[in-house]
Amino acid sequence: MTTFMALAPLLTVVFGALVVLLLEAFMKRANREPLGYVAALALLAAGFFVIRSWNRDLDYFGGRLVLDRFSLLLIALFVILGLFVLLMGLKYAARQGMNLGEFCGLVLLAVAGLMIMVSSTDWLVVFLGLEVLSVASYALSGLKKTDRTSSEAAAKYFLMGSFAGAFFVFGLALVFGTSGSLDFSTLLAGGVSGAGLAPAGAVGLGLILAALSFKIAIAPFHMWAPDVYEGAPTPVTVFLTVGPKAAGLAVLFRLLVPLLRNEPFAAVFGSALSLMAVLTMFAGNLAALRQRSVKRMLAYSSIAHSGYLIVAVIAGDGPSLVFYLVVYLFMNAGAFSVLAAMSRKGVEYTALDDFAGLGRRYPWLAACLSVFLLSLAGFPPTAGFLAKFYVFSGAVREGHVALAVAAVLASLISVAYYLKVIVFMYMKEDQGEAAIDQENPALYLVIFLCLFGVVQLGLWPGNLLALIRQALSAAF
Amino acid sequence: MIPPPAAFFILAAVLFVLGVLAFFVKKDLLTQFMAVEVMLNAGNLAFLALAKSLGKAEGQVIVLFVITVAAAEAVIGLAIIVLIFRQRKTVQTDELKDLKG
Repeated sequence: MTTFMALAPLLTVVFGALVVLLLEAFMKRANREPLGYVAALALLAAGFFVIRSWNRDLDYFGGRLVLDRFSLLLIALFVILGLFVLLMGLKYAARQGMNLGEFCGLVLLAVAGLMIMVSSTDWLVVFLGLEVLSVASYALSGLKKTDRTSSEAAAKYFLMGSFAGAFFVFGLALVFGTSGSLDFSTLLAGGVSGAGLAPAGAVGLGLILAALSFKIAIAPFHMWAPDVYEGAPTPVTVFLTVGPKAAGLAVLFRLLVPLLRNEPFAAVFGSALSLMAVLTMFAGNLAALRQRSVKRMLAYSSIAHSGYLIVAVIAGDGPSLVFYLVVYLFMNAGAFSVLAAMSRKGVEYTALDDFAGLGRRYPWLAACLSVFLLSLAGFPPTAGFLAKFYVFSGAVREGHVALAVAAVLASLISVAYYLKVIVFMYMKEDQGEAAIDQENPALYLVIFLCLFGVVQLGLWPGNLLALIRQALSAAF
Repeated sequence: MIPPPAAFFILAAVLFVLGVLAFFVKKDLLTQFMAVEVMLNAGNLAFLALAKSLGKAEGQVIVLFVITVAAAEAVIGLAIIVLIFRQRKTVQTDELKDLKG
């Protein structure tokens, strides 16, 4: 149904961002926390509109913005992600010299970019969403203005991101030149009819895939990722590791799954993607093994997780992909929020040695981090195990046995570094005096919600899985 | 006489490749950013050439969007480069090495 209501979630978020940026000008620097609540309210309102639009197939702009159930599911994921990031940033901003008003406004705008990206099958709209997201996230990663590493991260992210953006534009030009249209489906029709694409179109598609791989951080386009994830403020890192990854994978999924069912495409793009998936998993996990900073280790682990997620795309297994993304949101946000809790005014403890003896000093934090790390490693009964299990068994079912074996081997390697942190927390003697400031209720709420998500989805995944299957049955 | 659209398309492809080369060869943020701008404009030129030869207006519309996006990117990018210059008194990428491991 074509109605203006299709824009409601998007407009609420953008309107919220503008209100926050406007209010910021009238508030004292010392107490800007109400801005965080305004932003959270905007996200909650967007969430309300998402629930209202469920099962209605709304669209607008001549079908260029579609709220089908697949995009609604992902938008809901982004709303939750945005809420987590905002709550993590409330106290963090004041402690680490970050302007809360700018932070909230930019997070909302970036969430709007994610929403645009997943709710269209038109190349131009996807490109605009991607750029709204990118421009906001360059600024977000440099928000700690006095911190050298934060601005270095921003510079690297900006340079590589805009480079990838230019690839996207040129690839788009080539695809437009061969298919004469900016819609996914025209390109797909050319591919599916067996006539295939002209070589120029295939090159264009390759350029677009490379640009999207930059955003998702897939090897060999992942070199920027560890630096950016480490240097960015921790709440922003959570956003960057989950948001662009989920949106990029959703676009890839919409675009590639029909193509990969087709012989000439499957031969070229299927094998290229499988190679990239294997490379990503091993590059991420092997590099994570030798890190001395927990934040950088988690950055590499998030690269490895992109590899597992690509396996689901190659197998064309939508439900497993979305389930993995939801679980990944909870376990990754959880691990990073424990990292954000390890801080006091002006100081963040991220080195592995700072975690020595944490189990005795702060038993609750250590226990939560252990659960998140075990889930990231894929131990039952946490949700991480089920997510990996569904993805890998889906790959085997579709005949990608070698890929599944490689994924299992890669996740075996990952167990080593996740367990290393747990060993440090419980079996090493205290070295430094890492005194942390525990006055941060919003952050502990996030940790609790993530813990709840990881355990609940690990033990009773049925409801969510049924919802996802229902959402994807219509679209694909 | 105006050359045929194919000539413009070839020019766009050459510009794009030059942009990519410059991005990898140059070692300071400002020049690398200019290389990216060359790549974006090569994309624009390619769109215009293809729109002309296909006789479709969409190709010209998208160019307007890309120009807008490039402007937004330039704003944020130059701000970041100024920030880097204030902290380090240089914009050489070789000096950006606080983050590694």
